[in-house]
Amino acid sequence: MSSQERTWKTIESGPHTYEEALHPVVRKNYGKWKYHEIPKPGVLKHVAESGDAIWTVRAGTQRQDTVDMLRRLCDVADKYCDGFLRFTVRNNVEFLTPNEGNVEPMIAELESMGFPVGGTGMCVSSVSHTQGWLHCDIPATDASGVVKSMMDSLYNEFKDMQMPNKVRLSTSCCAINCGGQADIAVVVKHTRPPRINHDHLVTTCELPKAVARCPVAAIRPTVIDGKKTLMVDEKKCICCGACFGACPAMEINHPEHSKFAIWVGGKNSNARTKPSTMSLVAHNLPNHPPRWPEVTDVVGRILTAYKAGGRPWERVGEWIGRIGWKRFFEETGLTFDENMIDSYRHARTTFNQSAHVRF
Amino acid sequence: MAIEVNGMSYETDENGYLVNLEDWNEDVAVKLAEGEEISMEEGHWDLVKFLRNYYQEYQIAPAVKVLTKAVATEKGMDKKEASEFLYGLFPKGPALQACKIAGLPKPTGCV
Amino acid sequence: MSGANDGAVNGGCHCGGCGKPDDNGQFLNPTPMLDELESGPWPSFITGFKELAERTQKPMLRGVLDQLEYSYNTRMGYWKGGLVTVDGYGAGIITRYSMIKDKIPEAAEFHTMRIQPAPGLHYNTQMLRELCDIWEKHGSGIIALHGQTGDIMLQGIEQDKVQECFDELNQAGWDLGGAGAGMRTGVSCIGPGRCENACYDNLKLHLTALKHFVGQVHRPEWNYKLKFKFSGCPNDCTNSIMRSDLAVVGTWKDAIQIDQDEVRAWIDERGMDALVNNVISRCPTKAITLKDGGIDIAARDCVRCMHCINAMPKALSPGKERGISLLMGGKNTLKVGVNMGSLIIPFMKMETDEDREAFIEQIEEIIDWWDDAGLDHERIGETIERVGLKQFLEGVGIEHDINQVTRPRDNPYFKAKY
Repeated sequence: MSSQERTWKTIESGPHTYEEALHPVVRKNYGKWKYHEIPKPGVLKHVAESGDAIWTVRAGTQRQDTVDMLRRLCDVADKYCDGFLRFTVRNNVEFLTPNEGNVEPMIAELESMGFPVGGTGMCVSSVSHTQGWLHCDIPATDASGVVKSMMDSLYNEFKDMQMPNKVRLSTSCCAINCGGQADIAVVVKHTRPPRINHDHLVTTCELPKAVARCPVAAIRPTVIDGKKTLMVDEKKCICCGACFGACPAMEINHPEHSKFAIWVGGKNSNARTKPSTMSLVAHNLPNHPPRWPEVTDVVGRILTAYKAGGRPWERVGEWIGRIGWKRFFEETGLTFDENMIDSYRHARTTFNQSAHVRF
Repeated sequence: MAIEVNGMSYETDENGYLVNLEDWNEDVAVKLAEGEEISMEEGHWDLVKFLRNYYQEYQIAPAVKVLTKAVATEKGMDKKEASEFLYGLFPKGPALQACKIAGLPKPTGCV
Repeated sequence: MSGANDGAVNGGCHCGGCGKPDDNGQFLNPTPMLDELESGPWPSFITGFKELAERTQKPMLRGVLDQLEYSYNTRMGYWKGGLVTVDGYGAGIITRYSMIKDKIPEAAEFHTMRIQPAPGLHYNTQMLRELCDIWEKHGSGIIALHGQTGDIMLQGIEQDKVQECFDELNQAGWDLGGAGAGMRTGVSCIGPGRCENACYDNLKLHLTALKHFVGQVHRPEWNYKLKFKFSGCPNDCTNSIMRSDLAVVGTWKDAIQIDQDEVRAWIDERGMDALVNNVISRCPTKAITLKDGGIDIAARDCVRCMHCINAMPKALSPGKERGISLLMGGKNTLKVGVNMGSLIIPFMKMETDEDREAFIEQIEEIIDWWDDAGLDHERIGETIERVGLKQFLEGVGIEHDINQVTRPRDNPYFKAKY
């Protein structure tokens, strides 16, 4: 369509307005909530200062949704929730109703449609994840498939509240880790330097930009067949893939050499301890579609040990803080190796600057 | 894809960017601009020449920030006015349209 | 690289987007790898895609499934970027062209439209159905709710349909989200919409701020991206401290409110062991003591971590003098490593329109400083680390405050005025 035919003049409105998307009971008690309870897994009850109460039923979704599925969720919301619904930052859908009698029929209906009701309190919630092969331009794997496989095995942990505290998972298709810090994170780790397509590079890449993108100054200009191109000092290269985003001719992904790493102990909340970043506890796991069993296995081992040994309210990182990394590796059966010693910019902050030792 | 100018054929990619940057000349620029529904006037040429000079000097396209500041300085505008001026000349954005017409590489990436 | 030439491209209909059923009467080509993701109890995105493809008979959907199957077989991705926008905007469409369109032509283009949802991700079914109808008319019908930055991701549209689709969405009250080196779409938790811990109206501040910066969302021209996230309390359900450059976290200045009757009821129900083990001993600053059969919390020792309030939601609640803390500089790995946001403004009131205006003026100061001091592809946290927190504070006119650091410096390498 050419711009001449346009009759609509754009309104730069920004975010959609929210007031019309709030249930009338929410609107009435907006900002005047008193407390909440979790009557059972997947259900929240919030009570307002006015005495009004609203029940929430939470269900997991595949996140990669379709118009058909969203229309079905709308049908549920129309039937039980006066036409209102919302989503959580972890891709769960929530249905809010002031009518307690709607809760059980709604759970039954959602479960019969294949949506697991849960994701509340001390459970494993849905995975925060990236796009992968379905849509990203730099992915080494498919996050949605890893997530589906992982959540199949953690289905009961999503529906129950049997963990010491909530468990947040994330999955990312490259080392940039758009999936974010989490109690347990599954992140691609490249193990070989980029492969350069020089013919492609000279026509598509801005050389100084790619050079500047490298965190360890391993990319240098060079001349091949009389043309200005780039080379990588493979001894210096840390296989981060940062250059690939700036220059698509520096292919970092490889079907064999792009592996998986597992990280633990990320925490975003301020409760008890300050927010914390993750530590590497397993790597060199194969990129193994369609179900990535090696990844699911390691995540399962960590969760089993945490579930057995964590005390109430301890997040994964807090549990490890108490028992120590030595016992963490013993109890999960994972192996601490020399690559897990930090060698990057703030490495010293991870060294044990004390005589505290565990045997 | 390709464009025809003065009986010559020049290869372009899906977005209409020149595949071979050395193919650029002013007639090619006019043709590329036609594809964007832009008729090249003095303001457009000023921008295109700025981009090409910058690219020849630094081998990178200037960040939009640099472009906006250069326009602001030259025209005595604030940054917001300069941005509006740029989008007035190139409605789909200087990164997309001005770089294309100037024969610069396609900007990359979303992270 | 076994399997590189197997899979979908060898079977089924690939006659250039004919959209006709194959010989066996099926619209879709065989996708044995993807089919493995249809078993198991968790909802399957593959089942959803296939159902949508069979119903709508859109060739693009068949092509996308074929390409995904091909990726599963070859363990590589096949999308490359490009530039597609709508009139007047320099960002908001994530462009994807297939690198294997000679093999699988039906998904040659598969662009994503980022759409800004309502703060708090609230919907009514009329809004959502209208969005679905417009999207099905122009695009593939695949939607991700939501992307990592908080957008509605309408995935799969061809370039020549983008403007028309946007115009219809825009008429229905939707606008594109951010991409590139500009303001990005914001994220809010549910806030005062349901949560008793919300210390400010984060939905309102989110809407106000993102409307204010709407030009910078659509016409990116900064050093790099800039993300806002708005959490109602320090539980930080939006993960703002790690995931955003500008983390706006609700907090309070006075004492935690205690309902001693509810404290006693909690103890009666769960026992003193639970109170000691799970509440008192988990307080990071040992601010809680037993008193007269209930508890006392020393307000000056409390760091507002939320733990005791989380453990005893009926008995405890945030204080009455509420507002926000601003933390800045959160970002993930690329390329200096993970950076948590750090505290910049300990407290600002956030109740009135004037409070919100003052906040936005402060943010404008901060952005102006970053625009001048920052380098290309440098997030604001990186700029602050490179230039110095002290220099940043001076540059934007924010008072230094002991809350901005975990302790004073441990080295003498600075030049002071004597």
